[in-house]
Amino acid sequence: MEILLIIAIFVSFYVAWNIGANDAANSMATSYGSRALSLRQIILVCALLEFLGASLYGKNVVKTIAKGIVPIEALDPHLVVYGMVAALLSAGLWITIATYLHLPISTTHSIVGAVLGFGIAAVSQRHLEISMIKWSEVYRIMMSWAISPIMGAVLAFTIFYMIRILLFRRFDAGSVERIFRYLQVFTACYVAFAHGSNDVANAVAPLAPIFGLTAKGYYEIPREILMFGGLGIAIGVATWGYRVIRMVGENITQLTFTRGFSAEFATATTVLSASALGLPISTTHTLVGSVIGVGLAGGIASVNLKVVQKIIFSWILTMPITMFLSIGIYTVMVVFL
Amino acid sequence: MRFFRSVGEIFGYSPFKPLVEHAILCGRAIGLLQKQFEAYKKLDFVAVERLRDEIDELESKADEIKQEIRTKVSKSLMLPVDRHDLLEFLKVQDDIINNCEHVGHMLTFKKMKIKESILAEFEVLLSKIMECANEYEAMIEHVQKLIETSFDKREVEKVIEHVEEVERLEHICDLIQIGLHTMLFNSEDSHPLEVHLMEAWVVHLGYIANAIARAADRFRLMIYGR
Repeated sequence: MEILLIIAIFVSFYVAWNIGANDAANSMATSYGSRALSLRQIILVCALLEFLGASLYGKNVVKTIAKGIVPIEALDPHLVVYGMVAALLSAGLWITIATYLHLPISTTHSIVGAVLGFGIAAVSQRHLEISMIKWSEVYRIMMSWAISPIMGAVLAFTIFYMIRILLFRRFDAGSVERIFRYLQVFTACYVAFAHGSNDVANAVAPLAPIFGLTAKGYYEIPREILMFGGLGIAIGVATWGYRVIRMVGENITQLTFTRGFSAEFATATTVLSASALGLPISTTHTLVGSVIGVGLAGGIASVNLKVVQKIIFSWILTMPITMFLSIGIYTVMVVFL
Repeated sequence: MRFFRSVGEIFGYSPFKPLVEHAILCGRAIGLLQKQFEAYKKLDFVAVERLRDEIDELESKADEIKQEIRTKVSKSLMLPVDRHDLLEFLKVQDDIINNCEHVGHMLTFKKMKIKESILAEFEVLLSKIMECANEYEAMIEHVQKLIETSFDKREVEKVIEHVEEVERLEHICDLIQIGLHTMLFNSEDSHPLEVHLMEAWVVHLGYIANAIARAADRFRLMIYGR
């Protein structure tokens, strides 16, 4: 059993590190691309606010993934540990493969698919009834995946359109941009905080049932777990994320201060709302939606809509893959351990 | 650096800087034509041929840019202007430099001693075309500002002013052409073959001015069409 706990902690940290290295970096790259902040400043701000977002505001989403999908209270605590370790391993494995293949997958989709896989395996082994899986919650989560990029787009469109009407029409474009350079520092922090609050769950939600079992038999979510996840993300940003920030940032010079501000504000607001509602969504996909929104408002020289296809493709791919991985790993553990 | 997932892919190929570069090449080709006529005046036919080659080179560079834009501006890109309008505009802009190339070649067809008065009139026409091209370049350089302000009304108005000025200058080119034609067909002492060739020069120089005006018009349509 101890070895499982160690594996769980290790994989959870790896996923958190990955989230910091890739997704956090992607969200912050807009600030680097527009040169609102220096690389060093971005890393510092990003790491700090990701950590704060995760530890102060990450609880609701963790709760959803940990016990909102599979009714873990109805299962033997041993099986819960197996299930959560299986979910973590599958998500970690798929994230690694997809990253290597440059697929724009979401860690959120991966972990939700993996946890659901554990639930389905438990059903197939008659430890749970199929109706006990919280399908309405699964449905709500999947709806939020479709809605969040659209909400990002609508918000970003509105914000940028207002900037156009209220500012560009009255003042020189150059001086407007200069002011937004400073405002973008604020939105960058906002994104990092929101991202931490939502994505920390993808790494640490499976740890909650492992370490949160109370004497009375129900599961709590220890704050230490959120902090551990936040730390993992921060380390990911600092040790690898800066390269991604630099690479991505150099490719997005089309995003001027006002555009970056609009996209970031829209993304962060959407993601933070989702965190408050306990909905695990993809920050990256929301950001893509927001950039499209700015583009629809005439703010971007060229938006490559092929990415949307790729994202939809990765949605369709991720859920079944992590689900089956998790079913497999869980079954093996139940049979052999 | 294989291990990363990038959001940067959402930003597609932007054709606007290459469009400006293409326009600048057109302007430079017209400048070379002016030099070619000067060389012709000095009967320096070596230079005339060299300048023809230089214009050819600019034309092929412009062609590369045109091809790059045409292949990269795919339907999956969301641009602030209509894709069709953009490609149509590019096609007309490319006519400017294509016609420069034609004239450049026509100057090497025959070595002639041309009358001062006729050459002087050609110079007048060329400098007017150059003026027209400069105005056109000033217009096209607004592209960046248009995108920055996402096609703010004031910026659009400035562009329209440039377009109108291009059209006015093109009209003056037309008038000079008419004068040149009259002059050519009334120079009884010139050899008919020479008149014939020079007439072709005038016509094709006219095509250059014409292409500039049409490209400016297409540019205006592209902006209105969004």
